[in-house]
Parts: sequence; C-alpha cells; structure tokens
Amino acid sequence: MRRAVAINLKIPDNAAYTALVTLRRLGIELARLERAQIVRFDDAPDPTTLMAAVEADEALFNPNKHRVTVLDSDAPRPGEVWIVQDNDNRPVGWRLYSSPDLPADRAVLAQAAERLLCNPAIERTIFPK
Amino acid sequence: MSRRIAVLVFPGTNSEEETLRLLRDCGGTAELVHWSRAATLPSFDAYVLPGGFAYEDRIRAGAIAAHDAMMDHVILGAQAGKLVLGICNGAQILLEAGLVPGTAPVRRPTAAFTRNRPEPHFVCTHVYVKLAIEPARSVLTAALDHAALVPAWTANGEGRLAASDDHLRELQDGDHIAFVYANEDGSVDDTANPNQSALGVAGLCNREGNVLALMPHPERDAWTFNHPDRRRSAAMLAPSGGAVLFRSFVEAVVR
Amino acid sequence: MAEVAVALRSDELARIREQLGREPSLVELHAFDAQWSEHCSYKSSRHLLKNLPTTGTAVVLGPAEDSGIVHLGEWNGERYGIVIAHESHNHPSQVVPFEGAATGIGGIVRDVLCMGAHVIAVADPLRFGIIDDPNSHQRYVAQGVVDGISAYGNAIGVPNIAGDLYFDPRFDDNCLVNVVAMGIVKESEIIHSYAPPGADGWDIVLVGKATDPSGFGGASFSSLTLDAADEDSNKGAVQVPDPFLKSVLMRASYRVFALLHAQGVTVGFKDLGAGGIMGCSAEITSAGGYGAQIDLDAVNVAIEGMRPEVIAVGETQERLLWVVPPALTPELLRIYNEEFTLPEIAYNARATKIGTVTAQKRYVLQHRGQTVMDVDIEFLTGSIRDDLPFTETAPPSATAERPLVTGVQIDELIERVLGHADVCSREPLYRRYDGVVRGCTVIPRGAAGAGVLAPVPGSPLGVALAVAGNPRMSHIDVRLAAEHAVYESVRKVVATGARALALTDCLNFGNPRKIEHYNELIAAIQGLARAANAFQTPFVSGNVSLYNESASGRAIPASPIVACVGSFSDIATVVTMPFKHAGSVLYLIGAPQAALGGSVLLDVLGRSDEHLPHIDYDLVRAQHGLLYEASQARLFRSAHALSNGGLLTGIAEMAFATMRKGRAAIGAQIDDAWQWTHGSIGDLEAYFGEAGGFVVEVAADDVEAFEGIADDVPGVFEIGVTIDRPVLVVDDQAFDLHRLRNIWSAPLREVYP
Repeated sequence: MRRAVAINLKIPDNAAYTALVTLRRLGIELARLERAQIVRFDDAPDPTTLMAAVEADEALFNPNKHRVTVLDSDAPRPGEVWIVQDNDNRPVGWRLYSSPDLPADRAVLAQAAERLLCNPAIERTIFPK
Repeated sequence: MSRRIAVLVFPGTNSEEETLRLLRDCGGTAELVHWSRAATLPSFDAYVLPGGFAYEDRIRAGAIAAHDAMMDHVILGAQAGKLVLGICNGAQILLEAGLVPGTAPVRRPTAAFTRNRPEPHFVCTHVYVKLAIEPARSVLTAALDHAALVPAWTANGEGRLAASDDHLRELQDGDHIAFVYANEDGSVDDTANPNQSALGVAGLCNREGNVLALMPHPERDAWTFNHPDRRRSAAMLAPSGGAVLFRSFVEAVVR
Repeated sequence: MAEVAVALRSDELARIREQLGREPSLVELHAFDAQWSEHCSYKSSRHLLKNLPTTGTAVVLGPAEDSGIVHLGEWNGERYGIVIAHESHNHPSQVVPFEGAATGIGGIVRDVLCMGAHVIAVADPLRFGIIDDPNSHQRYVAQGVVDGISAYGNAIGVPNIAGDLYFDPRFDDNCLVNVVAMGIVKESEIIHSYAPPGADGWDIVLVGKATDPSGFGGASFSSLTLDAADEDSNKGAVQVPDPFLKSVLMRASYRVFALLHAQGVTVGFKDLGAGGIMGCSAEITSAGGYGAQIDLDAVNVAIEGMRPEVIAVGETQERLLWVVPPALTPELLRIYNEEFTLPEIAYNARATKIGTVTAQKRYVLQHRGQTVMDVDIEFLTGSIRDDLPFTETAPPSATAERPLVTGVQIDELIERVLGHADVCSREPLYRRYDGVVRGCTVIPRGAAGAGVLAPVPGSPLGVALAVAGNPRMSHIDVRLAAEHAVYESVRKVVATGARALALTDCLNFGNPRKIEHYNELIAAIQGLARAANAFQTPFVSGNVSLYNESASGRAIPASPIVACVGSFSDIATVVTMPFKHAGSVLYLIGAPQAALGGSVLLDVLGRSDEHLPHIDYDLVRAQHGLLYEASQARLFRSAHALSNGGLLTGIAEMAFATMRKGRAAIGAQIDDAWQWTHGSIGDLEAYFGEAGGFVVEVAADDVEAFEGIADDVPGVFEIGVTIDRPVLVVDDQAFDLHRLRNIWSAPLREVYP
C-alpha cells in the first residue's frame, strides 16, 4: 500500500527557523514550525519494516542527525502542507502550529504557501484531506 | 549631484565587493547598502542586486529576500522607472519579487530560476551570454552592440529558468528574453546551455526595460586576468569582456 | 567521578588534584579534559614540531597563533601579508559527512578571519576509502563531504582554488578532510590572538551563535578512536554549520576591523574551536600574561537550563571572542547586533560581554552566583607533554640496480593509468565549488596544479596555493613521502611561475600510543623539516590529527599533508597548464628515475617497489630557479608540474585542457624516451615514473632564449612538440586524445553526477 515517511532533522534546523521568522514578519501568526523531507512509497511494507528500511538507507537517513516518522496515511498531517517540485514522491513538508499544540488551519496553511512556501511557477501544494 | 547606485547587501549576499569595484571602474558612483540601512534606499537612483546566497537560499533561492524590507524600496523604485540590475542571486530575487518579467502582481512570481539539470547541484563554469533583444529594448543594454557576446562565469545551483508553457510564451511574445546562453563563436544551441534553462535563457528583462535579471556573473570576467583565454601579452589589469554590460548600465544611470 | 565521560588519564587526574589541592569540580574536570586533549594541547607532538623550520625573511608570523602570516609584497606604500591556516575535520566527517566537512571549512575560515584578515580562498585535501560500491558508507562519506564543503564555502563567498584527492582502503574507516584557508591583511592591521599589553580590566566579548549542547565533547571526541558503536553515543558532538550566520559574522567583523584601524586600537581576537568558551577565553588571556573571569550566565544560550560545563566547553560553531577596552564595547556590540542584526540572523545570536581580563593569573568561571571553576590559568593552558616511546627508524637503503618494468606496452598502460582513481579528472568535484567568487581568481582549479589569485584589487600582486601528500608513497617510506609532499606542493606552485614562500601542514596519523604510529609521526616530521629547509620554505602554521583509527585498530596510512603558498610580484608572469599553440617545443625539466615505489604505474600492474624516487635537492633547486627565471622572461606558453601518473599523464592533461567546444585541440608528439634518456632508465620508467619535474611548452622563436638560460641546469630534456591534432603520439604509437579523455573523465562522474 502507499505510505509516506517524514524525515526530520534532530539537530537544529536553521532553514525552518528562518521560514518561521519570515512568515511571522509577513503577519502570519505562528507558534512554531517544523520542516521534514517527505518520502512517499508506492508499495510499502508494514510501518515497522518500512521504518527499518528507511533507517538502513544511508542516502536518506543518518542516525546522528535524522529522526523518522511513518505517517498514518500518504497525505499531509494536520497543519502540514507538502510542496512538490519535480518529484511527486519527495515533497518538502512544512508543519505549522498556531499555538504550541494546535496545528494551523487550512486558511493559514494556504496563506503561508501562497505568500512564501510555494512558487506556483515551479511548485504545487498538497494540503491535508 | 552625481547619480548614485546602491549595491544591496542582503544577509548572505557574497558578491558585493567585486560588483561595487566594477561599477566604480566603469565610472559609476556606487556604494554598498546593508539591510539594516534599507531606509536610505529611496535616495539612490539605481539598484544593483549582487550574487550570493541571500538568506542562504532557504525555502528557495530568492524567496525570503523578495520579502526583505529592502525590496519594498526596490519595487517602488522600479515602478517609478529607476534602473535595477540583478545578477545571479539578485536575478533570483527579482523573479521571486515578480519584478521580472513583471507581468503579474509583485511577489506573485510567474517564473523561477530553479534547480539545475542534468546536474542537480551547484555548478561553476565559464560561459558566454548573447544579447537576444535589440539593445535599445532595455535602457540597461542600450550601449551594447547588437547581439553582443558577453563572457561570464556561471556559479549557482538554481539557475535554470522554469515556468509554465503559457508563461514561457509570454516571455517570448513580450520580448523579455534579454540574454541567452551562446557558444564562444556566438552560435546558439543546446550545448551552450549549461543547465537546461528553458528557451536557453540566461537573462530576462521586464516590460518597461528598466529591470534586468541575469544569472551568470559578468563581473567575475571583468578584468583580463579573470578571463580563461587571455593572451599572455595582454595587460592583466585591463577590463575584460564582462565589463561591457556594467559600462552600459552605468551609462544608462548617468544619462 | 567514574560516571563522567572524560578522556583524561589517571596520571593526569592526579596532577590536577595535586595542583588544586582538592578534587576538581565537574566543570573543571571537563575543562581540563578539553584543554589537555591532544587536539588542544598537542601533548604528544608539540615537542616534535619544534624541529620544523619556522623562520625566514618572508615570515611575518610563525606558528604561534590561530594562523601564520607571510609577506606577499607592497602596493601603494602598504605591506600585505597572506594569512594561512590548515586543519583537519576527519572524525566528524566520517560520522556526519555533510556537517563534518562544512564545519571544517567554517572553522578554518575563523582561524584566518581572527587575524584581522579578509578571507580569500579555501582548499580541500581529501582522502577517502574505496567507493566502488554505490551503497557503501565510504561512498556516502565521499559524496557528503564534497557537498558539505561546496554548500559552506560557496555560501560564504570564499573561492575554492586548490585541493587534492586520493582513495585507499585504509581510509575506509577514517576519511581525511583537511581544509586550508587563506586571507589577506595589511601587515599594519594584523590582530593577534592574545590580550595586548595593558588589557587588565578589559572586556571579553563573545560573538556569534547562541551556545547550545551541540558539539559538547568535541575536543576529546577528536582524540578518541572511532567505532561504529560510537556513532550513536557521539551524537552530542555533531556540530551544526550555519554558513548564513558566518557570512554575516565575517562581514560584520570586517566592519569592526575598519573601526579598529580608524581608531588605532590594539585588541585581541580569537576563534572558538576545541574547548569552546573556556578554551578560547583561557588561551587569549593567558597568552597575554593575564587571567580571566567569565560569567556563564551572561552567555547567550539556545536553550535554558544548560549545565555549566556544557556552556563552558561545548563546541557550538560560528563563535568568536574579542578582548577590547571597555570604551570600545558599546560600538562593537552595536555593529554586530544592530548594524548586522545578528539576533535576526540566527536564534539568539549576538555579541555580548561575558567577562573581564584580570591581572591575577587565575581562570575563574561563575555560574548562578557560584564559582564553578577557579584554577591557575598557566596550569590550565601551559603545555603539557607526553613523552611516548619510539624507536629511531633508519631510512631504507638506496639500491643502485633494479629490474626494469618489462613485458607490458605503453598502450596497455596509458588507459589504465589515466583512469586510475588517483589520476582521473577531478572536475566533477571542483565544478561544485565556486572558484571565482570575489572576482580575484587568476587560475581556478583545473587550469594548473596550483590556484592563483590577485588578492589586492588594482594591484598586480599574485598569490599561489597548492596542496600535496601522497598516501601511496607513505605506505612505503613515510620520511621520504613527507619530503615528497613538500616537494610536490612547492613544485605545483613553481609551475605557475610563482616564487614558493612558505608551507603549512596537517599531520594525520594513527594512535601515537602505538609505537609504530609514533615512529611514523617522528619520521614524517624529520622529512618535512629536511625538505622545508632545502627549499627555504618555512612552516608558518599547521595542525596535528592523531588517533585516526577505528576501534578494530585499523589506522590510516600516515598522511603528512602540505600546502604551499607562493607569490607573484606581477601576475603578468603567471603560466597556466593548457597547451597554447601547435608547433611549440616541449621540454621535460626533471630527472626521471628508475625507482617506481608509490607510483600509479605499479599500482596498475599490481607490483611493488620498496623505494621511492629520491630527491636531489641541489638539482631540484636549480630546476625551480630555471622555472622562475624563464617565467619572468615570459618564455613559457604553458607549464605543468608532474605528479600522479608521471610524464605521459601530465602531457595528456595539458592536451585535455585544450579540448573544448569550438576550439582546435592541441596534441603532442613525444620522442621515444630512449632518445633523451639515452637508455639510462627504461622507457616505462620515463613515461610513468613519479620522480617529479615539469613539462613546459616553449614557442619555437623562444627556444634559443630558453636554452640559453637552461644551459647550465641539469635535467632539461627536449622531448617533443605540440601538434594541431587531438592525438598523443609517443614514438610511433598514436593515441586518440578524445578516447583518452573519456577514460580520464568518467570515473568520478559516476560518483559525483
């Protein structure tokens, strides 16, 4: 079945920090922001096996700097927008929080994507279902 | 009072010194303006956005800088007819800010200089670019010869023009394609294009012709010693081929 | 104390207890652990390094501070110095290749910056394991390291103008990532890494990234052996690069330099490396004969509640430290925090006063109103020394007679040599590096064995930089290999027409507590000293990286890596590598030898020879003098220093560089070696031996002038001509240069697509 994993940095993510500061400057109120490399698999095994496979792939995962999460479905999580450029299976996931534990709603996500996170000339967005 | 050129320094800009040096060598009155002095920009007559990695290309090249306070002034100035030249990262910022091609509202980009192909990474190599508009089409290129060939170094990871088919047609129909990649003899073909840039584009101008975005760096082939095929007998500190574009720009500013 | 993870030995702990007269506090324990690590103290190598020559007429500052400085020349009444530093970032790059290599560039750049210099170039000598398997960790390392160097160096806008690359299975578990940085400074504006006279009561100002727990344990990390099982437990030592912040820090510091110059104030400036805030503040103050009092609560931190020892010795990147008079502090803080807006560039980045220089020679740390460290600063920073056992090793005796390589033909060898991993084109790497930012580049990578810059805008002064260090040679005879490292780096600089000025080294070795590795270190230093004395090129800076071995005990090949700086009074005399015209006369300047030890040829043949080519210094000096004189007289159209793959490889590279679209390729016709060696050695030894030397291209019209000055120099052979076809002709065999170039270009393109 189709599954996706999110690979986050566990060392400080400078790019995420700058994105957060810039979105706030654009008037989008956010408490925090996480960035992940999303990897989508067309024909994935069960989550445990998938996690082990990703963690064994050095091109994707280095235990010293990455953390892997197998997503519940092949779709953005609440508060998350995926930005796809060339490769549909390798979007960047931006997960926005309006308060520390409250994922941003669809309108905030759309605004963040339109104003900063997505250049529609070369990229497209995937929003949570 | 002489007309003044601001060389904008965003956090992460890295080519400001050679850009400033060449503008001054070409007779321009130019100075660096750092981001914390954005408020001084309205007093300048022209703007140059040099190369580098403004905000380290975080999110996308040029994406964050396009929202920097300095760009508020550049956008107002461009709309008022001031001359604006963006090189490499400066060109990426101008596209993200929507000043080039300038056919949509500002900060709603219709094209981008994005990840190179087939090598999807930073590539540094010597190239030639050829003027693909009539010189007078843009005030910045007015002093160049017809089909002028300019040597330059390309040095970027995101220099390939990409846009939808409709927007690419708009670039052609609106005569926005200011420079294309060319071979050393001036011929134009796919092999001259270092990164599969759409339509072979190296540089774009806006409708009014007062804003020019150029990916390769002519200021890095500005003095004879920079040029890979210099003759042994040449004066090494004399201007090289890349200086012609800056000379044309400075002439346009002064005029 | 048993639960505290420190690398201090029990005898060192006993010394500390005895000196303090009490048990050390936890902070003190970590401080001594860092400061007395090999990385900070050079405890097993410092006394050996004293044997290297470090003085000379061109030396402005020898190896005492973060970088060395050599005199480049004068322009408009100003004396200009070249600042040069060399370091390793081996262990971090093996574990997290991208970040490890990037922070290597970041660290070496700070070493140059803190001398008051503008940073003008970097170089990257790299040594990787065997990367044939696309899924191997070795290939992951080789790719990640290059990406990290590219990402960091390109972003900060410092051109990469030199480097080299070797592969050897003994680097499988320990790659080497050495980094060199170069800067330019007016000699009247040098800033030193010590608190100047009269600094009692001055402010200690920390600048840069907020201190965080990353890089805690880094100094001892770099001095412990590496093991797969360590990779997880060492994650606290992952140092996070931020070239964006660095780019701003550099420019803000340049602004401060201008302020200091305008005000005529002498201050101290130093980069934070191993040992963090503690190491840097202790060294900068004790080097001036002072003590320091630091308030850890004043440090800008990334997260609250960090333990004092983490704040004190953590190795967070992108930080520097000033010692300035209090009257200057407000303006210093304003430049960094307001004009260059550090707090907006990275989380809680800033310049902030953290302490005071004291006349009392104590090093005191305060945390939450408590004194958590209070020690004699000279005891902390003074040189501790490990006298390790070694045995004097004799150089292998020279043998006069050796069998010639027979039974193979050139045509069987030339393709295999050109496609060898240590010979093939490096362009897939260096095209990822910005070689021309700053607009000062005269020779970028690929156009000669050394990079050349015109570092003073408007002036004809030039500076050349090259690196060398051949692990195939150090397998066989580390002392002579070290001499060859000096000789090759000097040779590459000389080939561009420069005068070789000075050297900097990075000594990468295994565990010095194993006698065979310590012997290698001693022998290498002897070799470096001999060659540096012979060329009158002193060492002005350097670095030692020991314990490069995995837990299984597999050590790297001894790797003395050398960088050479050269100068031009006028860049009009610069010579590049590509052939320029057909019909020129080609000369070999060099004496081919029968010894093939360490050569690519023998590697290709699977044979061995326990003798490296020897270096006849009188002969080589005369040849280098000839290169310089003929370059000054503009008698060379092109020149190339020979190294891996020998003469035919060098000639092929000079031809390959002409093979560009829209250009007529220039080939070469080389006479049968027997005609110019007169049978003194075998043909294959002449074509592929690696004794050094140069190939130079002389216009027919200049032959008389060249031969006139070459007349009394031994080892100058006319070997052939350039031709207007893409063919390399050797005696009566013709090789298609397009085919050879494809073979030479392909191998690394697969690894670096």
